[in-house]
Amino acid sequence: MNSLFALLPLVIIVIASLLVLLLEVFLKKENKNYLGFISLFFLIVCAILYFRFWNEEFSYFKGSLVLDKLSLFFFFIFAVAVSFVILLSMKYISLQDANHGEFYALLLFALSGMMIMVSSSSLVIIFLGLEVLSISSYALAGLKRKDKKSSEAAIKYFLLGSFASGFFVYGLALLYGASHSTDISGILDYFRSSPELSLMATIGLGLVIIGFGFKIAVVPFHMWTPDVYEGAPTPITAFFSIGPKAVGFAVLLRIFLYYWRITPESQAIFWLLWIISVLTMLVGNLIALRQTNLKRILAYSSIAHAGYLMVAILARDGSSLLFYLAAYLFMNLGAFAAVIALSKKGKEYLELDDYAGVGFKYPWIGATFTIFLLSLAGFPPTAGFLAKFYVFSAAVREGLVPLVIIGVLASLISVFYYLRIVVYMYMREPSREIAIHLENPALFLVIFLCLYGVLQLGIFPGNILLIIREAINALPF
Amino acid sequence: MIEIFLVFLIFGLLGALLLLMNKFLGPSKSSPTKESPFECGSPYLQEGINPFPIKFYLVAFLFLLFDIEVVFFFPWALIFKDMGLTALIVMFAYIFVLVLGFIYAWKKGVFEWE
Amino acid sequence: MIPGSYFFILSVILFILGVIAFFVKRDLITQFLSIEVMLNAGNLAFIAFARALNSLHGQVIVFFIITVAAAEAAVGLAIILLIFRQKKTIKSEDMNLMKG
Repeated sequence: MNSLFALLPLVIIVIASLLVLLLEVFLKKENKNYLGFISLFFLIVCAILYFRFWNEEFSYFKGSLVLDKLSLFFFFIFAVAVSFVILLSMKYISLQDANHGEFYALLLFALSGMMIMVSSSSLVIIFLGLEVLSISSYALAGLKRKDKKSSEAAIKYFLLGSFASGFFVYGLALLYGASHSTDISGILDYFRSSPELSLMATIGLGLVIIGFGFKIAVVPFHMWTPDVYEGAPTPITAFFSIGPKAVGFAVLLRIFLYYWRITPESQAIFWLLWIISVLTMLVGNLIALRQTNLKRILAYSSIAHAGYLMVAILARDGSSLLFYLAAYLFMNLGAFAAVIALSKKGKEYLELDDYAGVGFKYPWIGATFTIFLLSLAGFPPTAGFLAKFYVFSAAVREGLVPLVIIGVLASLISVFYYLRIVVYMYMREPSREIAIHLENPALFLVIFLCLYGVLQLGIFPGNILLIIREAINALPF
Repeated sequence: MIEIFLVFLIFGLLGALLLLMNKFLGPSKSSPTKESPFECGSPYLQEGINPFPIKFYLVAFLFLLFDIEVVFFFPWALIFKDMGLTALIVMFAYIFVLVLGFIYAWKKGVFEWE
Repeated sequence: MIPGSYFFILSVILFILGVIAFFVKRDLITQFLSIEVMLNAGNLAFIAFARALNSLHGQVIVFFIITVAAAEAAVGLAIILLIFRQKKTIKSEDMNLMKG
């Protein structure tokens, strides 16, 4: 149905971000905390709208903005991620000297960019959304303006991010030249009409994949990830590890569920993705083994998870991809929440040695962190186990057995470094004294909700699987 | 044809009028600054590369942004007649957002010199 | 009349030069400049195709890419300025606080 309603969630988020941006300059310094609540309010309004829209399908701008079930599902993931990040940062930004009201405005801008990306069917609009997301992310990474590491993270993210945009634009131009269209459906028609891909189209698609590869941090386009994750403010790191990744996979899903149905996998692109996936799983997990900084460990772990998600793309299985992203959202944000909990004014505890004995000193944080780490490693009965199970069984159904074997080996490697943190927390004598700021109800709310999410998805996944199947089946093929 | 001619006539006369008013109404005193060659406000004899205040960079960034935004006015002007009211509303929404950005920059004190 | 393919070949050359310059140069501003070259190579390719296909679509896209490049430039230069104020250098090998 062609209707302006398709724009409504997006417009609400954009208005919210502009409002927050303006209020930032008009509010007094001590009232800035209200900005977080205002942003949360708008996010909740939007989430209610998504519920109302679930059974309808709107489109606008001649179909280049579509609000189907898939985009609504992703909106949900993004809204949950952004509201968790806002809750995590309320105390954090005042403790760690990043208390600028722009924080929330930029987060909402980034959210609007992601919403544009998932709900669009034209690669040009996707590019615009990608840039809205990226440009706000560059600023977010450098938000601790007095911290040299934060600025360094910002410049690294900026340079490599815009480098990737260059690839994306050029790939888009080549696809336009080959297929005479920039819509995903138009490019699809071109691929359908010519079974032998022309060189230009293949290179174009390859460049677009490279551009996305930077954003979703797959090997060999991952070099920026650990540095940016380490330098950026920790709640923003949590956002980077889920937001851009989810949106990148959403677009890849749209492209490749279409594309893959038409041409058999004996294509250069298939092997490109296959190699990327294998490298990502192995390199991410292997390098994580020798890290001692918690944020860097989680950075490499997020690289490795991008590899597992790539397996789902290769297996042409949308529902396992969506389930994995939902599970990853909860377990990863939960782990970051636990890392954020271990901080006090002006100081964050990020080295592994700081975590010695934490399990007994702060039993709640220790226990929940352990559950999130076990989930990331893929132990039953957590969400991480089921997510990996679905992805790998989908891959086996498609006959990608070597890929699955490598994936399982890689997740075995990952168990070492996840459990190393647990070992530090429970079996090491504390070598240095740490004191943390515990009055942070918003953060503990997030930990609780993530815990609920991880266990719900791990033990009773039925409901969400139903929703996911509905979202995937609504896609036109 | 006659409209275009009228436009040129009216605005030509207006321009001439304003220039003449300047000549007749304004005080005309000579000063060393006025006599110096025109150089956009900076001294005309100086070293090749001088550091200049960081405030200028801020203004330059803003100029870059607001300058480029105007690019969208040209295609808009071309189809304005065909689209009518819709085009007007869309452009006003666009300008509204730009103005919000302007207010933000203003309130942040970008335009304050010392 | 210049054949349309010349524009496309020029854009390919520009793009490759941009990519090479990004890796060869050791200065943040120059690296950023090479990214701009890459983006403009994309623009040129779009215009070349739009002319070859005789469609306006490609030309409209160029407007958007120009705007995006400007927004990127503003944020990027601001970050480089921030770096320069903190470190008094914009050499990319001096961005070495984090390793591992």
